[in-house]
Amino acid sequence: MSDALLLNLVLWLPVAGLLPLALVRGNATTSRLVTTGVMLVQFVMALLLYLQFDGSDLALQAATNIPWIAEWGVAYHIGLDGLNILLVLLTAFLVPLVVIGAWRSIEKDVALFHAMLLLLQFAMMGALVAQDLFLFYVFWEAMLIPMFFMIGIWGGARRSYATIKFVLYTAFGSILMLGAIIYLVWALQQQGGVASFAFADLLRVSLPVEVQVWLLAAFVLSFAIKVPMVPLHTWLPDAHVEAPTPGSVILAGVLLKMGTYGFIKLGFPLFPDATRLLTPWLMTLSVVSIVYGACLALVQQDIKKIIAYSSISHLGYVMLGLLSLDLAGIQGAIVQMVSHGIVAAGLFLLVGVVYERCHTRELSAYGGLARQMPMYALFFVLFMLASVGLPTTSGFTGEFLVLLGAFNAAWPQHLDGNNLPLWLAIAAVSGVVLGALYMLRFALTFLFGAPKAPHQPLADVTPREMSVLGALVVAVFLLGLFPDGALRKTELAARRYQEQVMTSRVPANAR
Amino acid sequence: MPDNQVLLALLPEHLLLLGMLTLIVLSLGRRGVVTAVALGVGVVAVVGAVVAAFVLAAQGLNASLFDGQLLVTPGVYVTKALLLALSIPVLLMSRTDFEGAEFPLLLLASLYGLSLLPSAQSALVLFLGLEMLSVPVYALIVLAMRRAESAEAALKYLVLSGTASAVFLMGIALLYGTTGSMQVSAVAEAMNMADPVATTALVLVVAALFLKGAVVPFHGWAPDTYEGASVPVTAYMATLSKAAVLVVGLQLFQGVRVEGPLVQLLAVLPLVSIVWGNVAAMRQDSLRRMIAYSSIAHAGYLFYAFLGDPATRGDAVVFYLVTYAAGNLLAFAVLPPHDNDVTRDHMGSLDGLFRHRPMAAALMAVAMFSLAGLPPFPGFTAKFLIFRTVVAAGYPVYAVLGLVGSFLGLFFYLRVVQRLFMRPVAEGALPAAGQAMLPGDGLSRTAGVLCGVATLLLTLVPGWILSRV
Repeated sequence: MSDALLLNLVLWLPVAGLLPLALVRGNATTSRLVTTGVMLVQFVMALLLYLQFDGSDLALQAATNIPWIAEWGVAYHIGLDGLNILLVLLTAFLVPLVVIGAWRSIEKDVALFHAMLLLLQFAMMGALVAQDLFLFYVFWEAMLIPMFFMIGIWGGARRSYATIKFVLYTAFGSILMLGAIIYLVWALQQQGGVASFAFADLLRVSLPVEVQVWLLAAFVLSFAIKVPMVPLHTWLPDAHVEAPTPGSVILAGVLLKMGTYGFIKLGFPLFPDATRLLTPWLMTLSVVSIVYGACLALVQQDIKKIIAYSSISHLGYVMLGLLSLDLAGIQGAIVQMVSHGIVAAGLFLLVGVVYERCHTRELSAYGGLARQMPMYALFFVLFMLASVGLPTTSGFTGEFLVLLGAFNAAWPQHLDGNNLPLWLAIAAVSGVVLGALYMLRFALTFLFGAPKAPHQPLADVTPREMSVLGALVVAVFLLGLFPDGALRKTELAARRYQEQVMTSRVPANAR
Repeated sequence: MPDNQVLLALLPEHLLLLGMLTLIVLSLGRRGVVTAVALGVGVVAVVGAVVAAFVLAAQGLNASLFDGQLLVTPGVYVTKALLLALSIPVLLMSRTDFEGAEFPLLLLASLYGLSLLPSAQSALVLFLGLEMLSVPVYALIVLAMRRAESAEAALKYLVLSGTASAVFLMGIALLYGTTGSMQVSAVAEAMNMADPVATTALVLVVAALFLKGAVVPFHGWAPDTYEGASVPVTAYMATLSKAAVLVVGLQLFQGVRVEGPLVQLLAVLPLVSIVWGNVAAMRQDSLRRMIAYSSIAHAGYLFYAFLGDPATRGDAVVFYLVTYAAGNLLAFAVLPPHDNDVTRDHMGSLDGLFRHRPMAAALMAVAMFSLAGLPPFPGFTAKFLIFRTVVAAGYPVYAVLGLVGSFLGLFFYLRVVQRLFMRPVAEGALPAAGQAMLPGDGLSRTAGVLCGVATLLLTLVPGWILSRV
């Protein structure tokens, strides 16, 4: 089977999965089985694509490019490159685990829930593999709709508020991005005479710096809300807390990465001059996200909120790495995206396990779970250590490389008399310490200390839950011990990103 | 041009006329028989007209009729066919509220006026077409009389629409006075004149269009009229009556780039309309009032396109009209039937619709997302086209303001979807098992499915329409 066909199948399989789902007519167990089957097949295909992906080739691989709305130069253009290959694999890997791991957490309208899950998977995959800005935007916005239903129908007590807040926040950023997209495409048409939305064409548009700054601001708003970066983060705790477990896992595991992916794939390379101009500001915001997110995680009483704020902190590292424009930093950012996807998914699933049994998220309601649920405690400690960034885990690879990159980039500037990057890098290190602090506080009260739980007796993790968590642990260590494979597949793309952002694209007459 | 070709070129209109005559004769028969047959006759006449228009478009007929009063081209025929096709769901959903031959008869009469508009090349024909479209609607509003407000609604519409017509005539008269021509090309001439009378003429014409199309501050009649009319009539007014106004605008301003003081008029009032329509819609308890305010906002987007380049404006407006109408008609077609019109109109009647009519709820959600302009639904593509036209004309700031205004609309559309899926079932909405369906329920459902298919096609192959209009 050709790669291109395989990628199309990976993309469209969830949509095809809607048909058998409709045929089982709302039977809960069959719906779950069908969805799991579809997702597993998708994962195997994505794995094949990953294995066949050639890291030494910079060109788009497994590409399909057919005109869609020919009048405006919109094409159905999808493909894989070093930037999206890992995230495609991550998405295909996480979502089936979510379905299996949260088997019992959805009991109402099970078929509708799985239909939404399939649609969400389709939209996320589409946004990752799209190589046409129109197509990307369609998928990017389409992700909102299933998530809107997921939080709104199966969410907690304040679901109605949380879901509207989630959609309005993200849509506001996107609507301004749409304005920027329209302007960008119009500018391309003025300069090149072609109507096209292809990323490759748009990366050639040269614009004056002032225009670039406005357009970048629109893109940053959209992506930074998704990441989320402080101060645009306030939707995240609400959405996470109110979402059902599978929703939280996908939100933390995949959706947030869409923001950082948007930056590395589109935002920064499209407007290199504006990016370099705004780097000090954006870097400061990243470090503020790291430290502020960690501080907030330190004082939360709701266990889901702890992980939600820790996500803000961890994704701050990704932004820092991308902005360092140092190869180690960029690659670290890519690894950190995947690592956070796996670790946050694991932690949210673990929270889901106790929530399913006790129906409360208050940290103070729990204590000494290690004695009643030893296996649970083992997994919890493993994911906690990965989150903290202990060597041999994926979290270490990502954060270490990002910090290395940040210092690499800061030192020459420090010698030139610009101390800001160095101070920011040092502040970012403190995030690691704070990270250890809040995770240890969490684990200490949760697992150790006087045993208490709102519901007795507590059953330990079931074999089903264990298999899911086990798969995630394997991924954590694979990425922690053998990051080479992943790094080699992404290196060239990271170098190209670096080069794109370093090269000025201001028109000659405006320089 | 030989007479037989005139007969051929206006075949869609002739078929509508034939349908009307048949219905008049038919209405002499027994009430029961009439009710059973009339709707079928109406649908056949409209479908015939649509097919005829498509066939004429495919044959590439290009002709100027009656000394240049009418101009037909393949693009004109496609526009006609699309507009007429949108009336089929209106006819189908009318059985819930209307019996007898009156509804199809009046609707066909109104469609006759609509059908003339895309081919009209003189201000007078445009005026006549618009009047022929509006007059039957006055009667349609009072025809059902399901509540006392219907009479008030009809009167309000009659008075304000009449005022709009008077303003329009005044504008045309001044246009004739300054340019000496009744052809639409007079608008282009007047645009280039520095003469204050010419400017006044244009402002009057635009104001009349704004009044008929319900753009702020000329929007006051719309919520009351929509609320007082029955569901099918509101659906018709919100979609095809509005489309007619836009078509008139397109005809008058064809080939004319809007310049000078008119830019402010055509940018600011539609912008205010977008914002106010979307904000006011948030507070509505009546579904039809909400649709009215939403249609005020949509009128804003549509008139925004007039800022754009005349070459691309037509595509954008027609595509927007079709998607907007498909979305609105879809929402009206799947409204759960109820024997009390006031209760049916209440937003609460939508609560938990998914629990007892999952298909209707899903289609309604699609309609809301499309109207809100969320991708991948076609409402997004339509909005994209409009704003692209505005940016390309060199007004990026207006485009961004319009986009932010459209963001405001998201809120109330999402609230409707929340009602459908995330609330417990409304009291008294669930028909007990075995209870007979209201008449026409099946037909409404067919209308809903037709609009759903249209929405799907507009999502997947938007290029089809764009390349043909």
